[in-house]
Amino acid sequence: MSERITVDARGMACPGPITKLVRAYRKASPGTLIEVLATDPGFKPDVEAWAKRTGNEIVELAEENGVIRAVIRVTGKK
Amino acid sequence: MERILVLGAGTGGLVAANLLASHGYPVTLIEKRETHLFQPGMLWIAFQGHNPSRYTRPVKELIRPGVELVHGEVVGIDLGERLVHLADGRTFTYTTLIIALGAHLDYDSTPGHRELVERYGDFYSGASAAEKMWSHFKELTSGRLVIAAADPLYKCPPAPHKAAFLAAYTLRRMGRLGSVEVHLALPFLHEYPSEVIARIVAPKLEEAGVRVSTLFTVESIDVGEGKIYSLEGEELDFSLAAVIPAHRGPTVRMEPGEVLDEDGFIKVDKYRLNVEGYDDAYAIGDASNAPTSKTGVTAHLGAEVVVDRIMGYDSRFNGRTNCPIVADGTASFVISSYDHPPVPVKFTRFKRMLEDLFIASYWSSLMYPERWAPIFRAYFNATDPRVISGGW
Ligand SMILES: Cc1cc2nc3c(=O)[nH]c(=O)nc-3n(C[C@H](O)[C@H](O)[C@H](O)COP(=O)(O)OP(=O)(O)OC[C@H]3O[C@@H](n4cnc5c(N)ncnc54)[C@H](O)[C@@H]3O)c2cc1C
Repeated sequence: MSERITVDARGMACPGPITKLVRAYRKASPGTLIEVLATDPGFKPDVEAWAKRTGNEIVELAEENGVIRAVIRVTGKK
Repeated sequence: MERILVLGAGTGGLVAANLLASHGYPVTLIEKRETHLFQPGMLWIAFQGHNPSRYTRPVKELIRPGVELVHGEVVGIDLGERLVHLADGRTFTYTTLIIALGAHLDYDSTPGHRELVERYGDFYSGASAAEKMWSHFKELTSGRLVIAAADPLYKCPPAPHKAAFLAAYTLRRMGRLGSVEVHLALPFLHEYPSEVIARIVAPKLEEAGVRVSTLFTVESIDVGEGKIYSLEGEELDFSLAAVIPAHRGPTVRMEPGEVLDEDGFIKVDKYRLNVEGYDDAYAIGDASNAPTSKTGVTAHLGAEVVVDRIMGYDSRFNGRTNCPIVADGTASFVISSYDHPPVPVKFTRFKRMLEDLFIASYWSSLMYPERWAPIFRAYFNATDPRVISGGW
């Protein structure tokens, strides 16, 4: 089982959710799963761009009842 | 007897205390420093060589009759008992409390940061740090100046941009922009947290000759080697660097501890600004967790809301921001509120004049907020993000 961190950024507008993700990422060790919950519609393209640029893997990205749920595996850290 | 206690004589605390005094309330203001610093002034000290005396004033010269100034450091706040403890052992009680202690700068979460600031200064840590930065910057004849941040959350979101613009213009005037590179490394996806603003700022930065890296959040600094490493796995060489420290809430012991969020900021009702669960204590400005930018403007507007509420009016804070981005001869503002994202605001000379007027009015607006209120209100209403949503 890999370690899992959950970040609740619901109700936060840009750049709130990405800021919270960056901070969780700072603490995370390689292989950790970071789950982010957000309601800001801009979060979806932003998290995709972030993962691509930083070399981390998006395991799940879904939207349900206005809540975006992204699960990221930390693969960009050595 | 009524006793309103204001903690911190920064922007928010001075506006609140002076405004209350103007309405005849007895106010006690507690501040640990002797001098107040106009923080944006650090940019001009560090990168244009301005004299710090232009941006500092003794706190005792900034208060109105009716405000009792106490020099001391707050170490503890007990909301249940309505007590404030100072480092020297004194204790104060209150009927209403306004916490305006600002943000704490955390150098220790970034390895090498303290050494960097001790060596080169910066434009966040105070007037003397800014003077130190200038003493190195003015000697820089080649290499790279890096302006970066240790965390995406810091006061005045466009401050690093302003620093880069001012540094680039100074270098141009010295004829050194060809040999010294100004490199702005930002912890955001784009050239500004808001993409709308990024689209306006990016071409202006390019025009000024500033190089930009995005998604660069400083993780550690090697001062000896002149290297900055990012959380995202990149590195930058520098000849001179200024890194904005991570921000935390004030370093006082809070009782109960649940009123602090994970970074130590005080949880408030974002409209009424009272501390969560308490109707006799407020937190304004950088010390609070209100979900808006940490700026002098928000601290000032928050102070006005709180004073209104103390007087019995149902005023609400709307999260309005007005962060200036100063470029050469022109300026733009980041204008947003709780219910409106930043609107596209073009760089113009007229806005630069407005910003220069705001700066010139600073000391007076701290002391006589009620005289400036109608002028600021007219400006804020005319530039309400809903009114100018199509752009300004
Ligand atoms: C480089 C730079 C540029 C900026 N540019 C702008 C700008 O253009 N426009 C804008 O609106 N804002 C700008 N800001 C942000 C602005 O300066 C702050 O957001 C504003 O000062 C916040 O006000 P405040 O009252 O919350 O806190 P502060 O003004 O920081 O005041 C806090 C006060 O509390 C005191 N204090 C702290 N701890 C204690 C303690 N334990 N006991 C007693 N006293 C204590 C401090 O000494 C200080 O006087 C800039 C900031 C920087 C650094």
